[in-house]
Amino acid sequence: MCKCMSVCCLFVFSEDQILLSDCASSLAVQAYLRMCNLPVHVSCRSNAEYMSPSGKVPFVHVGNQVVSELGPIVQFTKAKGHSLSDGLDDVQRAEMKAYMELVNNMLLTAELYIQWCDDTTATEISRPRYSSPYSWPLNQILAYQKQWEVRRKMNAIGWAGKSLEQVYEDVSQCCQALSQRLGTQPYFFNKQPTELDALVFGHLFTILTTRLTSDELGEKIKSYSNLLAFCRRIEQSYFEDSQAGSSSRGYSKGPSLF
Amino acid sequence: MAAPLELYCWKGDWGLPSVDTDCLTVLAYAKFAGAPLKVHKITNPWRSPTGTLPALKTTEESTRSLSKPSNIIIHLRKQKYNADYDLSAKEGADTLAFVSLLEEKLLPALIYTQWVDSKNYVDVTRRWYAENIPFPLNFLLPNRIHNQQLERLRLVRGDPTLEPGEQLEKELYQDALECMTLLSQRLGSHKFFFGDSPSSLDAYVFGHLAPLLKVKLPNGKLQQHLNSLDNLRHYCTNILILYFPSEAVTPTVSVHSDSSDFDSEPHKRRKQILSVLFAMGSMLGYAILMGIVSIQHVRPQAALVGPRHIEEGGEEEEEE
Repeated sequence: MCKCMSVCCLFVFSEDQILLSDCASSLAVQAYLRMCNLPVHVSCRSNAEYMSPSGKVPFVHVGNQVVSELGPIVQFTKAKGHSLSDGLDDVQRAEMKAYMELVNNMLLTAELYIQWCDDTTATEISRPRYSSPYSWPLNQILAYQKQWEVRRKMNAIGWAGKSLEQVYEDVSQCCQALSQRLGTQPYFFNKQPTELDALVFGHLFTILTTRLTSDELGEKIKSYSNLLAFCRRIEQSYFEDSQAGSSSRGYSKGPSLF
Repeated sequence: MAAPLELYCWKGDWGLPSVDTDCLTVLAYAKFAGAPLKVHKITNPWRSPTGTLPALKTTEESTRSLSKPSNIIIHLRKQKYNADYDLSAKEGADTLAFVSLLEEKLLPALIYTQWVDSKNYVDVTRRWYAENIPFPLNFLLPNRIHNQQLERLRLVRGDPTLEPGEQLEKELYQDALECMTLLSQRLGSHKFFFGDSPSSLDAYVFGHLAPLLKVKLPNGKLQQHLNSLDNLRHYCTNILILYFPSEAVTPTVSVHSDSSDFDSEPHKRRKQILSVLFAMGSMLGYAILMGIVSIQHVRPQAALVGPRHIEEGGEEEEEE
């Protein structure tokens, strides 16, 4: 029984501006809210990042509350009585949280690395897209500021010394771990999806449908057939109504970065 | 068999083989995998081959020395010292996941409680590092590490204006307490995380929890929570007793005459006395040379008689 909720308003960047990592995060939140059967309306704003309480997109605006990022949003909806992980026992809940951190630690960091620390991608894709709503000289300043901030973060957590090949290798390892955990089940836990499924779907689907300077990232994921089937299953179950004739086009949801 | 690998790591204290989380992780993994390591326990990171600790010196020319724990463990695995040999594929995946959980949820709180929380930092961390790092680095390094860790927290949280305080402490500790509870639930009543023999995940968990358990900090909320989780507490003490029995015996700060020649504690008194004597001797010498102080053997009246004595002496010589 829906206790509260006026329609949630999800704020993201506009299609021309959004980058891989933000798109993945917002798709994860959308998937989660759809899994909870909560109506959600997506709004695109170029200054979504600054509107967010934590500085990260996406964030939801419900009633008079603003909550950003998947973790706090899950807790918020849980407090309102909607939860996907109630049926899990303690060990399973520990595993679920651990795998969510695995995705955040490896996949999300790898996405940020590829976007901002790889010079080709940063110059051709990330900087132009990030600064597209602004005019000169603000666009140059903001783009370089963001790039510099991400590079410093990579330095602090020890990713600065990695080569692109090593990052691809890390993504492959992460996918292998997810594939092992998923096995032949329809979802990660029991027969019902949880927030882990939403998060994994968000990231994998975005990587598969986004064109970057090279296809290697997508290829790494495609080598695991159960992950592909998993993405297709969630897309068909929860996103079919919003796409007209998408099955013929295959994976067309989500912006491509070209 | 290749020549034994050399590992440089921080010195130990409070009953631990090393005070640093990464060093503990590597040491524990080496014990679990049975890797013969020559361990150099030092207190000067600049003496290590990579400039940071821990550092593994490899004998191959193709690989430089390794410093991150994950790189060191991978290298040991390649040398056939593999503590994860018996793990199934799913358990291997779980290892990756739980290590990520540790790094994302527990590590920021550990960094905060040791290096950023003002009372803990000043009373315990800075004091220990300043006492144990040799001169003159002991004036530079603790502060430098403190600034680096604060910067790291700021970047990881994405907030450049972050300041140590109650709000930040509350958020970080909440995540860390939840993480420890999850680990406790996953461990249950087993001896190790996967069966009866330890694996790399056990090394990581031990490396993160053992300093929290043993180092006595004034602001010890995380410690209290860890102590309330009985199975985790027994787990850590169990590993210490089984794999590091020599360290577990010495609970207080004791004087080690290890291969390390940077221990200055027993020589502190001698150095103090020597330096005072040296200072006094040099001051006295300077004073005498400049004539500020002079030692006179001649009586004041004898100055008048002086030349005659000499003349007489001279005449006597001439006569003889």
